[in-house]
Parts: sequence; structure tokens; C-alpha cells
Amino acid sequence: MEDLAEFVVNFASKLGATYADIRIEEHYDENIEVMNGVPEKHVIIRKKGAGIRVLADGAWGFQSTTDLTREGLKKATEIAFKVAKASSKHLKEPVKLAPIKVAKDHVKVKVEKDIEDMSAEEKIGCCIEWDKTMKVSEEVKRTSTNFSCVKVNKLFASSEGALIRFENHVLWVFINSFAKRNDLIQSYSWIEGGSGGFELLEKVNMHKLAEKVGKKSVELLDAEAAPKMEKVYAVMESDYVALLVHEIVGHPSEADRVLEREAAWAGTTWWKGLEGQKIGSDLLTVYDDPTVEGTLGFYLYDDEGTPARRKVLIENGVLKERMHSRETAAIFGVEPNAGMRAITYEFIPLIRMSNTFIAKGDWKRDEIIEETKRGVYVIGMKQPSIDDKRYNWTISAQEGYLIENGELTKHLRDVALMAIAPEFFKSIDAVGDDLEIRSVPGCGKGTPMQGLYVGNGGPTIRGIVNVLGV
Amino acid sequence: MEIKVNLEERTEKAIELGSKLGIDEVEAYAVWNKVFTVRMANNIILESKGVLDIGMGIRVVHREGIGFSATADLSDEGIRKALENALNSAKNRKLPFKYSLPEPTTPKKVEGTFDPKVANLPEDEAVELAYKMVEAALEYDKKVRDNSGELDIIVYHVHVRNSKGVNVSDHGTKIEASLNTIAKSGVEESEGFKAKGFRMLKNFNPEDIGVKAAELAVKSLGGEKIEPAEYTVILSPSTSTTIATYPVFLVSPYFMKTYSPLFEGKLGETVAHEKFTVLEDPTWPGLWGSCSIDDEGVATRRIPVIENGVLKNYVYDSFYASMEGKQSTGSGFRTGFVVGVGIFPGKNYVLEPLPYAVNPVLLPGDWKRDEVLQETKEGVLLERFHYTRLTNPTRGDFTSVLRFGVFKIKNGEIVGAYKKSRLVDNLLNILKNVDAIADDLDIGGSWGDYAAAPTIRISKARIIPAE
Repeated sequence: MEDLAEFVVNFASKLGATYADIRIEEHYDENIEVMNGVPEKHVIIRKKGAGIRVLADGAWGFQSTTDLTREGLKKATEIAFKVAKASSKHLKEPVKLAPIKVAKDHVKVKVEKDIEDMSAEEKIGCCIEWDKTMKVSEEVKRTSTNFSCVKVNKLFASSEGALIRFENHVLWVFINSFAKRNDLIQSYSWIEGGSGGFELLEKVNMHKLAEKVGKKSVELLDAEAAPKMEKVYAVMESDYVALLVHEIVGHPSEADRVLEREAAWAGTTWWKGLEGQKIGSDLLTVYDDPTVEGTLGFYLYDDEGTPARRKVLIENGVLKERMHSRETAAIFGVEPNAGMRAITYEFIPLIRMSNTFIAKGDWKRDEIIEETKRGVYVIGMKQPSIDDKRYNWTISAQEGYLIENGELTKHLRDVALMAIAPEFFKSIDAVGDDLEIRSVPGCGKGTPMQGLYVGNGGPTIRGIVNVLGV
Repeated sequence: MEIKVNLEERTEKAIELGSKLGIDEVEAYAVWNKVFTVRMANNIILESKGVLDIGMGIRVVHREGIGFSATADLSDEGIRKALENALNSAKNRKLPFKYSLPEPTTPKKVEGTFDPKVANLPEDEAVELAYKMVEAALEYDKKVRDNSGELDIIVYHVHVRNSKGVNVSDHGTKIEASLNTIAKSGVEESEGFKAKGFRMLKNFNPEDIGVKAAELAVKSLGGEKIEPAEYTVILSPSTSTTIATYPVFLVSPYFMKTYSPLFEGKLGETVAHEKFTVLEDPTWPGLWGSCSIDDEGVATRRIPVIENGVLKNYVYDSFYASMEGKQSTGSGFRTGFVVGVGIFPGKNYVLEPLPYAVNPVLLPGDWKRDEVLQETKEGVLLERFHYTRLTNPTRGDFTSVLRFGVFKIKNGEIVGAYKKSRLVDNLLNILKNVDAIADDLDIGGSWGDYAAAPTIRISKARIIPAE
């Protein structure tokens, strides 16, 4: 593959491109879906192709192809070059790329139990077993288990001389239980996963987790509907915090959003121009860190070949850093920080989260609850709806508890919280020491949409919100 | 960019190789997709990018088991490996009900789904067409400062063949055009937006998209904060299409199982206002999801989902139809979300079919849009939904950010704009509270998903401020 990659970047240079890169990727993806104990889906996808990106006359052009012959790659390069030239007629400033340390490297995720080495019987059998385990009572009317694995062997090469091979293996499983009593339906779901082999799921004891998810869906039938509450404390556990930080810190930290380049569909960000300013409480520190092994967002080089490092997005409440491409880093006058990723060779890279999480504090979870006179304790991510500037947010939870005088009292169902981001950030007054990075496999961005797997998380935190009543 | 692959011949080879392997039933779904996207922001072309995607999805039924595998390698060897993977999967995926691949049907031609002018549009001309949207918005008003958006040109060819005699082809073209405009006046800033999905080049007017986005941005300037309350709400086709799409999406037995059981077990019940009729109709000519066959090669048909307020039908592919003892409604489509795959605007060979609605149409009523406005004493007109979700899919709790295009109506006239707001209500309540349907059927939707609906009025829905 190296010779083909070298051929393409040289050919692009000969055409007149000032920069070119190529990703040649070989994919093995697998998806199993079991419902009510029946394996309804089992998909194995094998595909191989290349994505070629060129900079010509200061503009970007991109073309992907599955034809990996020299002739096929040549044709794709010519189109990428041609469309870059066409785009350059409508530029104000030519694209500049901030310099990076050009790397030659080979990164391979540690895998004990490779998904391709397992029999279909074993994989499907595990999913059926987890699915059936959720059926803890007759009131569990429906269960579903969705397992996914993405295995990629990727070669990145650039006209600057980069040559990086990345062998990645990520997987996750989503389990969901619906319980029903009379007209009341309640659901409970959970996601586990990371980068590595099937051993990741063996270590978390999926059987026990599936049993818990089934039981929770039934217990919620006895829970009280969440009351409407205004300006109350919410104590949020890690899985809920994962979705929260994803939506209201991760996305608005993408430099392309800050530059209003994602305005049409995804939106922009309310904290444009506030770098260096205090936007949250002293207890709020947020990182985006692709170097955390074992997480869904793990990588050591992004899809521009930029070496990865921890980014400090917010430090003690002060807005510090954005996630950047080489292009946006040049615009902001900062060093690139490896934010560019594409889901497959078919797509051009975009600025994406890796593992975005709130840094741990020194509170114990129980202390936070004990120190809360009145509020709610929310567990588990459910559905978000966030405004285009990531300012006004609503996120529902799997379950909640009422907190009265420092104790968890009533179990609550149908809990959704709403707040305004800057007010909420300032209200954070307790951060736990129980940091977890959770798996968030369905982050959407771009046109055509690229659904990417990332890690998000944090410890237990406390802040002020409104609870939407039922 | 062209790559010559004979999809018909390759599917024939798949059936032949499957037979040699002794597989009971084989289905081959071969796809050739080309997607070209021009992306704009900050009044410039940000990037132009093309995807060429060719591959085959192979489904096998063998000894009461079912298996599936997909490959981008259409050589004999690539197809043989995919068949073996699918067979191996089938041996471990036994079904508790009898399933057999679809029988041949007689598809009828659906007009207005393929335009050679779109299929042969040179990339550099597409770039120029895209930029016309920006130019038109900038020329509309000096207050227009910034534009961003996309133009997608999509061409697909498919061939479906199975060992029971299905042997059909389809092809199509699509144009997705969107523009988001930011207008500024002093310290005031607002946005406008227009997005539409077309099948034929003659229907795509880039200047019209630009002007509509700019007009909305300028009109949205100077809004006041809305008071949290229940309002009479008028939805233009740009937002009513979302209301049309939700119930049609939720009558898939697959999504009833995995996402929301809101309409489960409710066939024959009144779930919407008596004038509300929404169809899943891929046979409707020239719409975003119009097509003559589904992704199993079964003829599509018109399916009334809600008729005069009563829930009438669910949609079925062959698999879910067998599971529930029904017939396929020609609604087996390979869409949805699997990671490792984008939400691809062309045809997707890497997924198994699911029961899925692709062409929701809310039938027009007998009101004129102007009458709906004039007959509204006090209310709110909504032109843009953003980040719409069922926050509680089991109950139908529904929310959407009203990013801009929120207009105040008093005594039948638009008298001003509101700032960013949020609709917080329940989908079932919204459907039941529809009290006027206009005759101005139009295309609307968001992010690669379009439907057709007219202006509608909801007698009451809760709106709160979002700033």
C-alpha cells in the first residue's frame, strides 16, 4: 500500500497541488442485533478504498474511490485536483496549513480477543445470552442488544513525507429493556465499549449489567413521574455527564463551529471570542484527550498525521483551547492539536471530539448527595436537544431520584433537565473523584453525515438546572 | 468519475456462486453510488468532495437461518467470500419463524426520479451552481453578512436479484441544497435558512434558495423574547414536514421495538385530528424518496399511515412481515445507522433491509395558507426546527429548538419576530391539536431527510424562551 500512497501524493504534486494526502483503509465491520432473544441481524462488512485530499490554488478538493489500481487512484486524484481548482474561484484567502512534526509510525491497538478470530456462534451466542438476561420478569416486554465492532487498518501518507499506519479495533454493545404495566411503558438502556478486543466486554461482566438493565426498566414502573422543579440542584452521575459534556463542551469547542463553518446544520457556538475568559466555576476543567488507551476515542495521530496530545478545553472555569485542524490552527495562530478524523476513506476529515471529559475533583459522590438539601440525582444518558449555539440545552436521563435533606428518597421516571450553558457552568459547585470515560458511539457531524464513535465522561458533578415536569 | 461495473451481471454471478455452495436462497443487492458535495461557509467555497461507492450486500436463507454480508470487492473471489460469511452467519442465526426471500412483483415506473442532466452534471458546474445560492443571498440585502450551506449531487444505480426470481433495477438522481444566512443590523443578529431536496435539475433554482434564506434572516431581526405559554402555532412546510415524518417513521415495527412504541397496538385508533392524513408513498412522482422498488426489489406502493386521524397501517419489509404474519408493503429499505457507515444519501449496500418509510406525504387540506394566517387572532408562525427530538420516546415528549423564523401573529397578520425559542410539547397532543391544513404542499425537512407537507395550524402547543 505504501507504494500506492507514495504514487498518489507524488502525482498530485506533479499536477500542481501544493499539498496532498491519502488514506488507504481496509475495514472489517460487524454488527449483531438481537431482539427478544432472537438474532435479527448479523452484518459483516469488508471494504477497502482510498480518500485523496489535495490543496490546489489554495482550495480543498477530495475524492474517494474503491479502485485501488494506479489508474483508479490517478483518476481520483485528477478529480480532487480539478474540483479544488473550481472551488478556488470562490475563496477570499488561500488555505494555509499550520506546520506539524511530520511522522513515520505504526500504531496498533492492543487486542487480546480479535473479533475476526471468534466464531459467529460465540459472538451471536453472547448477544443472545445478554438479551435473554434482561428478561427478568413478565413485565419486561421487549429487549434488544446491538453489538458493533469496527476494525480498520489505515495507512496515511502526505506530500510532506508522513507515513503512518494505524490498526484500530473498537467495539461496543447497546442493551435496552422495555417494561410495561397497564398503559405505562418504561425503558432503560446502557452502552459499554472501548478500543480493544472482545475482552473489554468480558471484563465488565455483561451478564450482570444486562440483569441490572432489565431490573431497572421494571423498577421504573413503580417510580414517580418527575415533578417540575425550577432552579434546583442536579447531581449527575458519569454516564449522564458524558452526554452533557459531549453536547455543551465538546461540540462548541470544535474550531470549525467557532468559525461558523458548521452553521447550516450543526450550528455555531455561544463562546466565540471568549478565549481566555472565565465561563464557568473554578471547579470546571475539561479535557479532550485521544491518548487514553482503551477508550472509543483513542488514537495517536489524527487523519492529517498530526501527533495527538491532551487538549485543555477549559481550565478552572477559563476557556483555554479549541479542537483544531491544521487549517483552523493556522487561522487562530496556534499549534495544531490533532482534531481531524473521518469515519472511513469515503469521507473528508472533520474536526471531531476524541475523549472529552470533565476532570475529576475531590468530592466523594455520597458527600455531594449528603450536602444537597433539595434536588435530583440523575443517572444515565438518554436523549439530547441542544440549540445551535450550545447555549440552551435539554437532556433526558435513564432515571432519577429526588434528593431531600441529603438523602435519595423517591425514585423518578421521565426525568429531563434543562438549563442555559453559561449559567449552568458557573453553578457547578461540587465535582467528584469518580471519573469515568464512557462510550458514545453515535456522534453525528458533517454533510454527508459521518457517525463517529467517541469517548465522553466525567465524575459525579452538581449544578443548578430546571427539571421539566411530566 | 466513472467506474464501469455491470451490476446485473455481478448479481447473477452471486446467485450462481450461492447455488454452487448449496445455499437454499440468495439475494444480491448491488449498488453504484456517486455523491458530490460542495460545502460553503463564510461566503466562500470551503471544500468540494466526491464519493464513489460500489458494493454488494448479500443475504442468504439457509436451513431456517438467515445471514448477511457486504463487500466492496465485486470480483468472483470477493463475492464468494461474502457468500461464505453470510452462510456462516445463517448457520448461527436460526429464526423462530419461517422466512423466505421475497417473490417477484410487478413494479410500476415512478416518474421524476432520474434526470440525466443531474447524472452528467460536471463537478465544476456544480460548484458554480452552489455558489449562486451565496451570491443571491448577498445581493438580497446589505444586512446579509454570512452564508453557509451545501449542495449535494447524488446519482445511484441498483440491481436486486434473488434466487426466487426477483431481478430488477432502479436508478435515481437527487439534489440536496441548503443555505443558512446570517443577517446583522447594529448589534442585532439573526439567521435564515432554506433547504430542499430535488430529483430533477429543472426544479432546482439556486437563486431561490439564496433569496428565501436571506429573506427569513432579515425578517427575523429585532425579535422580542417570547413569554412561556401555550400558543396557537402555524407550521410552514419547512417545519410541518417534521410533524408529518415522525408518525410515518414510528410505524416501522423495527423502530417500535427499538426506539418508540408510541403507535404500537393502536391500529384503528384515532391518533390525530380528523382532517390529518399522512401517507408513506414512494410512488408519488418526483419527491425525495420516490422509487419504484424497495431495497428487496419489491414494488413500492401508497400506504395510508394515518387517514382522517385514524392510524391505519404499519410499514413492512419481508422479514418483519414474516415475523408478524403479514405481507411486505414494499418498505424494505437499507437505511438507518450503523457505525462505520455515514448516513449515506445514496443507496447503502452494507445494511440489511429494515421496514422503513422513505417518502412521507401529509395530504393538503382545503385552506389557503393566507386564510390560515388571517384566521389566527393570536399565534406564532414557525419556519425552522433545529435539533428536534422525542426526549421521551415512550411517551412522545417532543422538543425542538426554534432557532429563528419565529413570528408573532396578531389579528391575522405577522406583526414581528421572536428571539430563539423552544417548542416543548407532546407529539400525540400536537397531532390531535391540528385544526387547519392548507393546500400549499411543499418539500421540507432537514439534514438529508425530506418529506412533503402543507402549512398546518396547531390549536395549542407550549413554547418557552431559549435565550
